[in-house]
Amino acid sequence: MTVARLPSASRTFRRRVLGRVEDQATQDRDVLVLHDVTKQYPNGNLALRDVDLVIPEGDFVFLVGPSGAGKSTIIKLLIRDEIATRGQVVLDGQDLARLPRRQVPKMRRKIGIIFQDFKLLPSKTVWENVAFALEVTGTPRRKIRPAVDRVLALVGLSAQSQQTPAQLSGGEQQRTAIARALVHDPRLIIADEPTGNLDPLISWEILQLLLRINELGVTVMMATHNAEVVTALRKRVVALEEGRIIRDEVGGAYHRED
Amino acid sequence: MLSFVAFSLTRAWQGFWRNAVMSLAATATMVLMLLLLSGFWIIQAGLLAGLQFTEQKVEVVSYLQTNITDGQMQELRDKVAALPGVASVAYVSRDEALQRFRASMEAQGREDLTRYLDANPLYASIEVKLVDPSRIREVGDVLRADPIVRNVINIEDLVERILTVTSILRTAGTVLLVVVGIIVLFIIVNTIRLAVVARAEEIEIMRLVGASDAFIRWPFVFEGAFVGLLGAVVTLGILAAAADPIGRFMVDFFRVLPLQFGSLTRDLVTLVMAAGVGLGILGSWLSVRTYLIR
Repeated sequence: MTVARLPSASRTFRRRVLGRVEDQATQDRDVLVLHDVTKQYPNGNLALRDVDLVIPEGDFVFLVGPSGAGKSTIIKLLIRDEIATRGQVVLDGQDLARLPRRQVPKMRRKIGIIFQDFKLLPSKTVWENVAFALEVTGTPRRKIRPAVDRVLALVGLSAQSQQTPAQLSGGEQQRTAIARALVHDPRLIIADEPTGNLDPLISWEILQLLLRINELGVTVMMATHNAEVVTALRKRVVALEEGRIIRDEVGGAYHRED
Repeated sequence: MLSFVAFSLTRAWQGFWRNAVMSLAATATMVLMLLLLSGFWIIQAGLLAGLQFTEQKVEVVSYLQTNITDGQMQELRDKVAALPGVASVAYVSRDEALQRFRASMEAQGREDLTRYLDANPLYASIEVKLVDPSRIREVGDVLRADPIVRNVINIEDLVERILTVTSILRTAGTVLLVVVGIIVLFIIVNTIRLAVVARAEEIEIMRLVGASDAFIRWPFVFEGAFVGLLGAVVTLGILAAAADPIGRFMVDFFRVLPLQFGSLTRDLVTLVMAAGVGLGILGSWLSVRTYLIR
C-alpha cells in the first residue's frame, strides 16, 4: 500500500476526499482538551488522577502504558460513556460533562472509534457495515452511497465491498472498521489497540492507513502496546501509569529514553 | 419523520428475519403464553356467568293472608318494589297458585288430588326476584313486618352461604387470572429481552457511531410489536380452530346453564391482541432501555 504524502495540500485534499467544508474557527480549535481530569469509579478505583492533555487538530498521538494505566478510561470519557469525577473533558470546544444527554449521539459522530476486535456485524457485507453507521444516524439514502463508496476506496476495499466479515482477513476487517469510523467525516479517530489481533506485517499496513488518514487532516489518537511501531514512528507519545501522565513527548519512543 | 418510521419498520423486519431462530422462539413463547392467558380468561368468564346465573335464581316467596284487599296487596307490592336490590315483584293469586300446582303435578305424571277438595287450600303469594341477592335479608324483614303477610319462606341462611361460596369463587378466579397475567407478562418480557440481548453488539455499535436513542429504540420496539402481533394472530387462529370441538363438548354443559357468551369472542380478540402487541412493545422498550441509560 502506498502512503499519500501530501502534508502541504492536506487541507484541500481532505476537503475533496472527505467532503468537509470547514470554517476558520473549527480549524484553530484544539480537538481535545483534558483539564485536571480525575476519574474515580463507583467501586472506589481511581482510574485517572489530575490528567492534563491537549491534542491540537491534525495531531497523531500514541497513548501507551501498561494495562489498567487508564487508557480505556480516557477513551470512555471521550465517548461520554463515563463522566469525569473532577476536571473538564472538552471535545471540539464542547465540555462533555455539560453536554445534554440528547446531544451525546451528535457529539459521537465527531469521533470515529476503532477496536481491537473490529466490532463488525457478521450478517452484513462490508458495504452494509459501513453504510450502517450512516443509516442509523438518519443520513438520507442518496448521500449514503457516495459516502460509503468514497471511504471504501480510501481504505482500499472497493473490490471486497460485497463480502461478509467472515470472508475477510483480519487486516481487511480492521480496514472495514476504519472505513466505518471515517464515514461520518470525524474530527478525531480513536484507535483502541487496533493492531492487537493482527500479525506484524498487517499491523504495519493498518498503521500506514491511519497515518495516511492523519495526513488528510484527521486527528488520530491510538492506544497501543505495540512498542516496535511506536518507537519506529517517532510521533507524539503520551505515557500513562497508574492513572497519571508520566511522559508526554513529541518524537518519543515506547519506553523512556534517558 | 416518515422516513424515520420507514427506516424503523425496515430495520425491524430485517431484525426479525436475520435472527429468525430467536424471533420465532420468542413468537412461539408468545403464542403459548397467550393461549394460557386466554384459557384462564375463558374459564373465568364461564365461572362468572355461571355464578351470575345461580344468583339470579334467588327468589323470596311470601304467602299472604287470605282476607286482604287488592289495595293492600298493591301497597305491599309497591313498597317491596321500591326496596334496593329488587328486580321484580310478581303477585300470584290463589287461583294461579292452584293452576301452577296442577300443572306441576301433571308434568310429573302424578294424580291431581286437588279435584277432591271443596275449596282452594293454597295461599296467594308475592314473589320477589333480586338483582342483588345479598339484600335478601332486608327484603325478607320488610315482608315479615307487614301484617298482611302470613309467612316468608326462610331461605336467607342458605342464600347467604351460597353467596359466601360464590364470592370466594369470584375472588379466587380473579386472583388466579391476575397471577397468570403476571406470569405471562414476565415470561414474555424476558423472552424478548433474550432476543434483544443476543444483539447487544449491534446496539453497542449503533451507540458508538452516534445513533440517537430513537434510532436505536424504535426498530426494536416495532420488532417487539411485530412478534406480539404475529403471536396474537397465531393464538387467535388456534382458538378459532379449537372453538368448534370445544363447543360441541360443552353443549351439554350449556344446556344446563344457558350462559351468555355473546361478548366473549370480542373480549378475547381484544385481550389477545392487546396483550400480545402491548407486551411485545413493553418487553422491547424495557430491554433496549438498559442499553440506553448510561
